[in-house]
Amino acid sequence: MVVRIGKRLVQLLITLLGVTFITFSLTYMAPGDPVAMLLETGDTIISQDVVEQTRHELGLDRPFLVQYGSWLGHALTGDLGMSYSAKKPVVDKMAEAFPGTLLLATTSIVLMLLIAIPAGVMAAVYCNRWLDYILRAVSFIGISMPTFWLGLVLLYVFGYKLGMAPIATATVSLANVMLPAITMAFTLASKYMRQVRLVVLEEMNKEYVIGARARGMTERAILWRHIFPNACLPLITILGLSFGWLLGGVAVVEMVFAWPGLGKMAVQAITMRDYPLLQGFVLWAALAYMSINMLIDVSYSLLDPRLRKGGHS
Amino acid sequence: MMKYGMHRMIGKKKTLRRWVVGGLAALACVGMLAGCGGSRSGNPDVLKVGVTNFADTLEPTENYFAWVVMRYGIGEALAKFDKEMKPVPWLAKEWSVSKDHMTWTFIIDEKATFSNGKPVTAEAVKASIERVFAKSNRANTFFTYDTIQADGQTLTIHTTTPVPNMPGLLADPLFLIVDVQAEKDGRNFAKEGPIATGPYRVVSFSRDKAVVEANPNYWQGKVPFKTIEIPSIDDPNTRAMALQSGEVDMAVNIGPGELPMFKENSAYKVHEIDSLRVVVARLNQRGIFKDPNVRAALISATDRKSYADVLLKGTFSPGKAPIPPSLDFGFNELTDPNSYNPERAKQLLAEAGWKDTDGDGILDKDGKPLHADFVIYNSRAELPIFAEGVQADARKVGMDISIKTVDYNLIDKIGIDGDYDLLISNIVTANTGDPQMFLKWYWGTNINGSNPQNGSGYSNPTYDAKLAEMAASFDPTKRRRLAIELQQILLDDSAALFLGYPKTNIVNAGYLDNVEMFPSDYYWITSDIAYRK
Repeated sequence: MVVRIGKRLVQLLITLLGVTFITFSLTYMAPGDPVAMLLETGDTIISQDVVEQTRHELGLDRPFLVQYGSWLGHALTGDLGMSYSAKKPVVDKMAEAFPGTLLLATTSIVLMLLIAIPAGVMAAVYCNRWLDYILRAVSFIGISMPTFWLGLVLLYVFGYKLGMAPIATATVSLANVMLPAITMAFTLASKYMRQVRLVVLEEMNKEYVIGARARGMTERAILWRHIFPNACLPLITILGLSFGWLLGGVAVVEMVFAWPGLGKMAVQAITMRDYPLLQGFVLWAALAYMSINMLIDVSYSLLDPRLRKGGHS
Repeated sequence: MMKYGMHRMIGKKKTLRRWVVGGLAALACVGMLAGCGGSRSGNPDVLKVGVTNFADTLEPTENYFAWVVMRYGIGEALAKFDKEMKPVPWLAKEWSVSKDHMTWTFIIDEKATFSNGKPVTAEAVKASIERVFAKSNRANTFFTYDTIQADGQTLTIHTTTPVPNMPGLLADPLFLIVDVQAEKDGRNFAKEGPIATGPYRVVSFSRDKAVVEANPNYWQGKVPFKTIEIPSIDDPNTRAMALQSGEVDMAVNIGPGELPMFKENSAYKVHEIDSLRVVVARLNQRGIFKDPNVRAALISATDRKSYADVLLKGTFSPGKAPIPPSLDFGFNELTDPNSYNPERAKQLLAEAGWKDTDGDGILDKDGKPLHADFVIYNSRAELPIFAEGVQADARKVGMDISIKTVDYNLIDKIGIDGDYDLLISNIVTANTGDPQMFLKWYWGTNINGSNPQNGSGYSNPTYDAKLAEMAASFDPTKRRRLAIELQQILLDDSAALFLGYPKTNIVNAGYLDNVEMFPSDYYWITSDIAYRK
């Protein structure tokens, strides 16, 4: 187990190195100049001297590999550099946006589970009946709807028409997170519900279910004590990946709801060609995604006694 | 097997009912939780303003963050721009200049105080200006100085070169006056906000939301609101909805889609003004547009009023001249020889020898079609709309225009290299109230990069002579006259196609008084804004 975790950690480091190099190369090659973007912010005509001076101050006049090497050297010591546009350390800037993203991600996942698991199990239990059709139709609509549109509709109905929710408070709190989280949860649940339905249906066809019935167990006990725990395993993978993805921030929803999170920060970093901030964000997003993936792998053997004991399913 | 299992389960209707009830209860809980945050503005002590913010800190010398310090009513400068972009007294109550325009004397208003109660002396102003020069590399682009002297309330600046418009330069937010001593005593301007002289002072600030409170020591009297909350709402739809719901009392830059709705509703007041920007299609004078008749024909063919009023729903004013009507540089005195007239355009092209010999609707000459490439970028939403309007109008007079979209960041280089027939630009004309640099950079004869933005090859000795005369002149009346003459030359030469001037807006709920809009976009929150009594 320790060896496996060690191997995974080495893989993670190599991948992170690759991700940062690719991101650095892409931002370097992409058309765009952070200096021009910084100076464009203001309505001022700027001389070439100031442009050159600013470029020098930001270290952008150095060769590509020198820039990357310098960034990497600092990153290894935990220093992700200064954001060009924010004029503050990247780590501080990300730390400011992180609570928003964490709260949105956690709330979205909890709401998503509250919707998707009951709905998915019901759809499986009532497979090919009217309830299943309705749930599948709703999930189809959920998958097809663009999140920004759903967000705007929710804002219009709950924020503007009913006055039940704040429209744009721009502060992180449980009350304020509800609408953006519902928007995310509905979209995620629409996909997740189908997965739940599928794995529960699969489990329902297995022989141990017949065995349990033969022993006279109630249907509810079979469903929740046997089918559901078995179905959880593949679902945890998807759940983990969704959470990892959410931790990288959800730009569209964050923009619509003026929610201060990493996604909104990343969009601003891209617009401003703020390379250090973008690098920091990509590093974080990759790290979050891969760490959670690793945790899921490790948790498999803890959750599934068959894997833990080296047995076969 | 599956059917059997399901059959038994379906039989449990009670279970289904429980599920449905449970689901509805969960939704209700979610709704209640969501309801916890609902708020309506209405507290007479609190004003809420929806904005878009680009600043991460309130350190005025970093990037353009000083704009935000000024917009939020925290900082003030020696002078401010009036509605015609003329500098008028603010912290300085008067000023004068020596004959050689190298010594400027400002008298600081003795009533002025910082938010910590300390008086604003000439010494404090000197320290503040020196701080700007020490910290910002942009300061030198405004002016350079030999010495700054302070004596009581009298500040004297000796510049290295003659400066015709020092009050306009010092009105830029970069030069807003801060208490440098407070910083030396430990205040972190970036995190806590500067100690300045505005009606409000910082309570908390992040890129996403600022809270300011009344400055108890405000030198111009009592401040109307105890607190102002300023959320940054980037999405224009959300910003408009926040205003409609009453969550904010005023909002800056409502989008074209929502603006008519507020205009039609008497519960809101819409303040709209032409900004300092112009959207222009630069015309390369070397290729197809070398012939002045072809340039004039293209300009005559374009219905700029329709672009502004119809295509852009009134969010632009129709274009005519380089400098927008918001600035007092004779917009209404200028005559556009190429005002909209498609018949004249056709006639000009015919006179230039262009005919449709092959009947394809596109004129041709010597076997070559009348074709031009229009280089645009689309990060500003209005630019493709303008370009398509020009394309359609040009087609009506037999001119074929291809639109080539490139990344915004390539535009500058394309402009300098002159690698275009038409090139769209959204340019600021006079951020310090003076258009000399704009008129020179884009149309002054470019010799070895002397005016790098003039990649169009436009060159007119009369124009250059008048530019030189303007540079040597310090009389505002004469400078204004020269600016008008320079513009008229550009219009007569059909030097460029001036498409329109973007308007900016502030919309506020009808219960607020004294909200005002300025072309310079530096003054959003002022001490005048108050609830109607």
